[in-house]
Amino acid sequence: MSDQLTLPEVLREPALTMGTVTPGSLDDQVLAFPERRPPLKWFVAIACTSLIAAIGMGFIGYTVATGIGVWGNNSPVFWAFDIINFVFWVGIGHAGTLISAILFIFRKRWRNAIARFAEAMTIFAVMCAGLFPLIHVGRPWLAFWLFPYPNQRALWTNFRSPLLWDVFAVSTYFAVSAMFWYLGLVPDIASLRDRTTCKWRKPIYTVLAVGWRGAGSHWQHYEKAYLLLAGLATGLVLSVHSVVSFDFATSLVPGWHMTIFPPYFVVGAIFAGFAMVVMVLIVVRESMDLQNLITDYHLEVMNKVILGMSCLMGYAYLMEGFTAWYSQNEYLHHTFINIISGTYGWAGWLTIACNVVIPQLLWFKRCRTSYFWMILVAVGVTVGMWFERFVIIVISLHQDYLPSAWRIYKPTLVDFGILFGSLGLFFTLVLIFARVLPVIATTEVKGILPGAQPEHHGGDHE
Amino acid sequence: MSKPPTFAVLGLFDSADALLHAIPKVREGKLGRLETYTPYPIHGLDEALQLRRSPLAGMVVVMAFLGAIVALAMQGWMSAVDYPVITGGKAPFSWQAFVPIMFELMVLFATFTAGLGMLFLLNRLPFFGHPVLSSRAIQGITRDRFALSVEAEGGSLDPEAATALLSAAGAKDIEVLSLPARAEILDAAFILRALGGIVVACVVAGGLMFAAIKLFPLLPPMSHMQEQAKLNPYKPSHFFKDGHGMQSPVPGTVARGYLPMGPRTPEEANGLVNPLPRTRENLERGREAYTNRCAVCHGPLGDGVPALTAAYNAKPANLVSDEFRKAPDGRYYWAIVMGKNAMPSHAADMPEEDRWASIHYVRVLQRAQNAKDSDLEETKP
Repeated sequence: MSDQLTLPEVLREPALTMGTVTPGSLDDQVLAFPERRPPLKWFVAIACTSLIAAIGMGFIGYTVATGIGVWGNNSPVFWAFDIINFVFWVGIGHAGTLISAILFIFRKRWRNAIARFAEAMTIFAVMCAGLFPLIHVGRPWLAFWLFPYPNQRALWTNFRSPLLWDVFAVSTYFAVSAMFWYLGLVPDIASLRDRTTCKWRKPIYTVLAVGWRGAGSHWQHYEKAYLLLAGLATGLVLSVHSVVSFDFATSLVPGWHMTIFPPYFVVGAIFAGFAMVVMVLIVVRESMDLQNLITDYHLEVMNKVILGMSCLMGYAYLMEGFTAWYSQNEYLHHTFINIISGTYGWAGWLTIACNVVIPQLLWFKRCRTSYFWMILVAVGVTVGMWFERFVIIVISLHQDYLPSAWRIYKPTLVDFGILFGSLGLFFTLVLIFARVLPVIATTEVKGILPGAQPEHHGGDHE
Repeated sequence: MSKPPTFAVLGLFDSADALLHAIPKVREGKLGRLETYTPYPIHGLDEALQLRRSPLAGMVVVMAFLGAIVALAMQGWMSAVDYPVITGGKAPFSWQAFVPIMFELMVLFATFTAGLGMLFLLNRLPFFGHPVLSSRAIQGITRDRFALSVEAEGGSLDPEAATALLSAAGAKDIEVLSLPARAEILDAAFILRALGGIVVACVVAGGLMFAAIKLFPLLPPMSHMQEQAKLNPYKPSHFFKDGHGMQSPVPGTVARGYLPMGPRTPEEANGLVNPLPRTRENLERGREAYTNRCAVCHGPLGDGVPALTAAYNAKPANLVSDEFRKAPDGRYYWAIVMGKNAMPSHAADMPEEDRWASIHYVRVLQRAQNAKDSDLEETKP
């Protein structure tokens, strides 16, 4: 605290909580949700989302039973909604890891209140993402062939294929995110275990908390493990979307074969993920009355991140145009012209408008702190980032080197059904999470409350 | 022993500050090992408790390297040693392409070492029977209170002295925790239940495995690869009225090369003349047909010594005997088409030209097996 006092007002970090929050009141506020019967609006919400998810599952069942010919994919657009949705969902997940890992390493204390929720969103988003390659293979029950396992055909997977790297990257990402999330949950579940009087919840929490008792010697290893995990997850989060971008960048398709792809994909992923986090957090904050823990400051900082990422996206789009011109490659040139004026030119302009133009509103503090503008930008970014993947995949594929093979791609009802079904699945999982586990990492927030750390130990370092 | 031995004496503080200040005071009493129980990590506790540096980072580094090496070895062995397949014109051991998976496995190994190593190895969890978990204080510990406990180290702990010491340091709600009377795991009923649980789990797992391997792949749509919309010659089909996949030809159909034989009796057949000219091609063809169809019983030399064992009772004719040397070609032809004694008909598997060609070849064998001295002279250069 003493360091802060010497700083001028504008440089000081604002209070991370509003009103009087003590460790006890924090528990009573946050940990009470899993114990309480959810309100009617929660049931209405989950009924809607699970209905959408069920319809999506129906379309998936229809696809699996009939074959992926029910989708719009056809030569030369072999990748369409399935891969667009995969990249979209993996990207959404990246915000959670960024918040929980990278901001932890940078000692951004505001992350503590939103990290748990963002991490949960990461896990659910990766689950939704994993769905798409699974159904894209057509015979999902044979998807284990993607892994190198000893088999009677004596064949191994091709380790030079970026698609296989993707299998490893995404499954590692899921495993690591789940581990990170669970480690953070252990002390919170221990709190739930000691609070609850319900005879059904108690044994479940007891097992999940693995007998956590908050011993000083345990915390020492715990903090070290958390720091190490944050460092590992940082490398991982940068690698996962880079590997996803290799699926495109290592091919020779015009518009894909570019070295800017890995950083461009990572930035896009964080961008889309933050927009989704802002959207969901606003709903959670309002419906669960968490305004004192997730303050306007939290939302404003996240909006600043979105703004920064938006500018980087604008740079990436400009670089794409510059590369098309500077390379003097007529195929690349043609693809870029297609993005801005072809059959799908509207998608190209929609991408630029949603991802680069609309987020510029966030330069104004009024927009950064007003729900209306925030949600407008967040929805815009989510739509824009989905269309960005559409632009990359469909526009590049539908007209490549061989004009005789050109074809206009049209998605079918099944394509849309599965896309919306995945959204339904995601929000269903988010709603269940919000009612079953603590939405705020109470242990982490307790540690940054005023007076939580011994005074004489000095400063506000973590 | 009337009372179970004391495990620890535990006192509660209301702030992290108070806890940290109390530690040096309690340490001076030298009653036992000090341990704290707090709702969140508190800075400075490591030094106050004089904890050694966590070895976790070293473990993670080792496992990270191991992960990378395992990934490199796995990919190298699979792509370059066990089954080298050239893809994209790259060398079998193209290590550059193995880097992404090396990185991923490195992170995976390191993460699980950090997470599980911390929980299970260093912190010795899960441990559901720790006395603190069943103490009154635990509800405060995982909420907003800070516990300091003096724990028995080796020998016994004097509960009164420890209580006095903690109380002097400012602790409230002091609690004496005794060791649990005996481990529940030694209970016979518990062992029986545990074994029963394992048996049930094995049976369930076995059933699930059976279903996954034997039943699941046969359900639609998994079975669509086998059950395709096409005729299978040896399977029933609803497409035709008779329910067969394979249909018989129209009555009276004659396949190419399978014209029915003219003669009706063996005597009539004796009059048949071999229509094939004795060219080298026809003799080669005859050798092939004879080797494939006849040699198994009549022997490769035609002498009726079969390649089969003594368990085969039939006595194949000695085709190089005088009787057969004098026999007309038609007699062989009749036997090939109609069969004789144990010999089945070869009408279905030897086209007409093969039959005649093999008869030519039998003539060659007869000549070769009955060679005269003069034959040698004739072939002298």
